[in-house]
Amino acid sequence: MAQKISLKSVFLALVLLSSFLFSYSSQAQEATEEAATEAPAEGGSNAPSEVPTDEARISEGKSLFDSNCKTCHRVHEKLVGPALKNVYNRAPSIDWIVNFVHNSSKVIASGDDYANKLYKEYNQTQMTAFPSFSKDEILSILGYIKQQTDKGPEVAAAAQPAAGAGDAAQSGSAIPEGYLNAIMIGLIVVLVLILVVLLLITTVLRKYLNQRTDLDEDDAELVNAQFSLSSTVKSTPFIFIVTFLFAAIAFKVVINNLFAVGIQQGYAPKQPIAFSHKIHAGQYEIDCNYCHTGVRKSRSANIPSPNICMNCHSAVKTESPEIQKIYAAIENDKPIEWVRIHNLPDLSYFNHSQHVKVGGIECQTCHGEIQEMEVVHQEALLTMGWCIDCHRKTDVNTKGNEYYDNLVELHNAESKDALKVENIGGLECAKCHY
Amino acid sequence: MNIYRNIKIVFGIALAASLASCAAGGEDQGLEYAPNMYHSVPYEPLTQITDESAGTAAEWLDENSDGHGEYYNSNPLNPHGMTMRIPPANTVKRNKNGFLPYRLPKDSLTLASRTLKNPLPNTDEVIEDGHMLYNRFCEHCHGGAGQADGLVSEKFPGVANLTGAAYKDITEGHIFHVITWGKGLMGAHGSQLSPEERWKIAKFVKTLQK
Repeated sequence: MAQKISLKSVFLALVLLSSFLFSYSSQAQEATEEAATEAPAEGGSNAPSEVPTDEARISEGKSLFDSNCKTCHRVHEKLVGPALKNVYNRAPSIDWIVNFVHNSSKVIASGDDYANKLYKEYNQTQMTAFPSFSKDEILSILGYIKQQTDKGPEVAAAAQPAAGAGDAAQSGSAIPEGYLNAIMIGLIVVLVLILVVLLLITTVLRKYLNQRTDLDEDDAELVNAQFSLSSTVKSTPFIFIVTFLFAAIAFKVVINNLFAVGIQQGYAPKQPIAFSHKIHAGQYEIDCNYCHTGVRKSRSANIPSPNICMNCHSAVKTESPEIQKIYAAIENDKPIEWVRIHNLPDLSYFNHSQHVKVGGIECQTCHGEIQEMEVVHQEALLTMGWCIDCHRKTDVNTKGNEYYDNLVELHNAESKDALKVENIGGLECAKCHY
Repeated sequence: MNIYRNIKIVFGIALAASLASCAAGGEDQGLEYAPNMYHSVPYEPLTQITDESAGTAAEWLDENSDGHGEYYNSNPLNPHGMTMRIPPANTVKRNKNGFLPYRLPKDSLTLASRTLKNPLPNTDEVIEDGHMLYNRFCEHCHGGAGQADGLVSEKFPGVANLTGAAYKDITEGHIFHVITWGKGLMGAHGSQLSPEERWKIAKFVKTLQK
């Protein structure tokens, strides 16, 4: 009996032992598997944890930094994320940096003090994870950062004189105002001098001629001729010329003003916010369509609402008093009352999408060089004659537009000229007036 | 001295006439001809006359007894007298392609990038449209090749390099969601682009990332 029991217990013990061994080995296997999967991401943990200093690694780091990190980090200034100078000394360890770059949220979740402090300091903005970077690549980036740190923030210092030089060059081209005045004054002085000299010459000549005795009477009369103002003024030719001039000028003024009635060309009202198209559309080349969202979709090109301004001005020039007006408008839920510049009379219909999307006409064709306007003015006449003139001259943009295929065919059967807007009813009254 | 007086008169008249000219310029809108044909009676978008006395003279002949001048064109029932209204709550804009409004909220980025599929076909036309839209709406920050080198990125911090390692493998659904709602410092562009246009851009951005 005792033998049976002992056999049983030995068997049980064997089973237990084997199962224990098996589970242990599988755990070990899992562990090695985990290690195997994590190892490549760590980039070979046996790589040295020192910041490289050789040129090749630094230039590799620079290109990596420029294409991946520059979005949110600079070396010497705080952007979205912290300034990275000295980060290799500041952070707990090089390995900590590597882990943070691979997956910052994991480091933060692990309760790491330094990571959590950073996370709070930067308004809980999480750094994008870069799991594909090897440790060597991250070290190269650190190498670049170290090089830049040692160099110091001379980039900004170098940029400032350059900007100053630019200003000087600009003012150099704009200076002639004072210069022009000097030239004008000089010219006037010269002219006055010439006048004085001429007067002197005539008096000298007259004196000389009067001294001579061999002059006959006609010549003497000519030399001592008296200029009589009243007789000149009363002479018929003079009265005729004056009357003619007066009538002509008056006529011209009246006609000009009559033709200007109802035309707002040159109208450039002050806007509630000093928005400059020159900066936005010119300097930064932001497409017109970005803000004027309706231009290809509807009759009106649309005035952007403040949320579109905020796409950039959430971060750009936030201190400017003009930009503060946008913030105030959003805060008070009050529309910005822009002054409409192009006021087409209600009696005529105009559609932006028809001209811009279908016709493929540039904004500048009607609105002028808008990308150079600090303050927008009405460039075009916007009269009926102006519209009609363009409809007569402009070819229809038929390319790639099936709608026009039959029209082009019919037109080509009758005429050799290209299909103009007037050929498809661009001059019909009801096209615009209904 | 007669001659001077005459010249003075001529110039005086010309000057007075040009000063009182009808032409527009600067703040001056110029003289309107037949203004009752210029100003819209129904409410118009993007134009609003808030002056209640505008066009009182025109009412001498034809009184419409609304207590305002004829050209007064503001809706007193709307906030700030605006002529346009915000669409009523719970209404939905539809178009011929049956796109319904995008309903995932801003914080559902991971869900969006996992589940959303681009409904547009993978044709050259779609990609070309996407390219055009990208140039209009994205290029000034993200740059022509998506390398965050647009002109605005000089001033605006944190523009994503679309070809960078962190963004290379994002899905079209991810791009769509980010255009709609924005992410990080990027603002929401859902008001500027229709869903269809956003999908086109997403298709094009994927070609930049190849």
